Amino acid sequence: MILLDRVSKVYGKEVSALDRISLHVEQDEFVIIIGSSGAGKSTLLKLLTREEKQTSGKIVIGNIDYDKLKDKEIPYLRRKIGVVFQDFKLLPNKNVFENVAFALEIVGHSSREIKHTVPKVLNVVGLRGKEKRMPAELSGGERQRVSIARAIVRQPKILVADEPTGNLDPRHAWDIIRILEKINRFGTTVLLTTHNQEIVNKLKRRVVTIQDGRIVSDKAHGEYKS
Amino acid sequence: MKRDRSLKRWLITVARLTLGGIRNLFRNAWLSIAAMAVMFVALGILFFTVVLNVTTSNAITELSRNLKVSVYLEDDINDEQRFELETALASSPYTADLEYISKDDARARFVENFRDDEALLEGLFLVGDDSLPASYEVSAMSLDDFDRIEAIATEERFEETIESITLGRTDARATIERAASAQAFITSASALAAIIFTVISVLIIFNTIRIAIFTRNEEIRNMKLIGATPWYIRGPFIVEASMYGVISGLLAVLAVYGIIYSIGPNIANQDEFRATFELFTQTSTVLLATIATVVAGIIVGAFSSLLAMRKYLRLKHW
Ligand SMILES: Nc1ncnc2c1ncn2[C@@H]1O[C@H](COP(=O)(O)OP(=O)(O)O)[C@@H](O)[C@H]1O
Ligand SMILES: [Mg+2]
Repeated sequence: MILLDRVSKVYGKEVSALDRISLHVEQDEFVIIIGSSGAGKSTLLKLLTREEKQTSGKIVIGNIDYDKLKDKEIPYLRRKIGVVFQDFKLLPNKNVFENVAFALEIVGHSSREIKHTVPKVLNVVGLRGKEKRMPAELSGGERQRVSIARAIVRQPKILVADEPTGNLDPRHAWDIIRILEKINRFGTTVLLTTHNQEIVNKLKRRVVTIQDGRIVSDKAHGEYKS
Repeated sequence: MKRDRSLKRWLITVARLTLGGIRNLFRNAWLSIAAMAVMFVALGILFFTVVLNVTTSNAITELSRNLKVSVYLEDDINDEQRFELETALASSPYTADLEYISKDDARARFVENFRDDEALLEGLFLVGDDSLPASYEVSAMSLDDFDRIEAIATEERFEETIESITLGRTDARATIERAASAQAFITSASALAAIIFTVISVLIIFNTIRIAIFTRNEEIRNMKLIGATPWYIRGPFIVEASMYGVISGLLAVLAVYGIIYSIGPNIANQDEFRATFELFTQTSTVLLATIATVVAGIIVGAFSSLLAMRKYLRLKHW
């Protein structure tokens, strides 16, 4: 499903963020990527969404070879990958429903399709009844749920979540993780970055550790011990 | 990579972008009004220039048509000489119309014209029937062509044939020439004004769109990250700027037709303006003028917004 072969990323001329990363992720997997701040976790995910371009190495997702990707195909790539950000990136002047609907609008879904789909997704993330709320009226945990709803509303095969719990207190953080597990059970590949050790320990999933831009360990379900 | 390109999705998207653009129109109401006001003036002047130009050139053509060169013939020429001249005049590309006035015709006209002046008629009778010369009356395609017709008549081979040449009523010609140069001046002055106001509206729309891009910067970034295409992001800005063109174009047509209908009926009874007034008040002309002005507005608006986006909408690095 996701294949990285000796992928490196150098910002500018000097800053090496990733150094010959090789990683293979199967369909339906839930992979946690851990590492201290500045290790290169965000960079890794940004390469997958083509926010950044790898300096060298090969990236293949499904049947898409990133070297052959043309600029004008990037929007279509992004429609296949759901993204959740640490800072939510919601549109402040749109309410909950509109924020989620937005992801469907830009791909040309009709209002009817949108009215049908959005409530179901809001249900999945536990935001039923809060459709009319503005982002400013929501707690951090609720905002992140809106962001997740927006990321999954197009039913992507892959969901990448970059420290989605980074700004949340532990109880809300845990709610978010549960939602991501649920989404994974529905058949979506999930890549989650975090530096929260507790989440890693409790989740019992495959754990990839990054340090200074290199993968220093890659442990399957249950093997990882901090 | 596979893309969803069904017609339905496309139509929904176009409708959505149009609505988005119209909504943007109201987000920055004062700037929108300023943009539309200047564009209204620009398009108004532009359209009015066209109206003015058509009106004056129609009037000048109409007046010129009444202007004729009279080529008076010697009394003693034979038919051969006369036909040589007639052929020369008739085959000239500058001749619009050619009429032979025989001595009898000339006399009949004279009598007709001076019906009430018995003394004059008596005088003519005394001098004899033959006193008025035969002539050719030539009308030209345009004012400039009179000189060329004159040149034919003054060729050496016609020296024996022609007694004299008069150019209609010369004062009329001077008046028409003055009108023509005034027309040229007014046309270029108003074209210049139209250009100036168009440039100003391009600048204002450019600025309006620039501000719209800045205020929506965050939103645009988000749209990019969740898979919006560059054209989806540009769409509302283009629609917004084009709407300025549509609205001010319609207002400009309305204003110029206001002028046409308030002045037109008063002068439409004069020969030189009748056809023009009828032309502009025809349904098909009204329709065409509206479409042309609105399209001009859309072009100016869309162009300005594309210019602003090229500079401020950083879509290159995706
Ligand atoms: N846009 C950028 N320009 C230059 N350097 C960057 C940029 N983004 C990240 N970096 C650097 O790359 C390294 C990895 O950053 P990042 O991927 O954000 O790490 P993490 O998400 O694990 O905290 C850091 O040293 C960071 O300073
Ligand atoms: Mg990070």
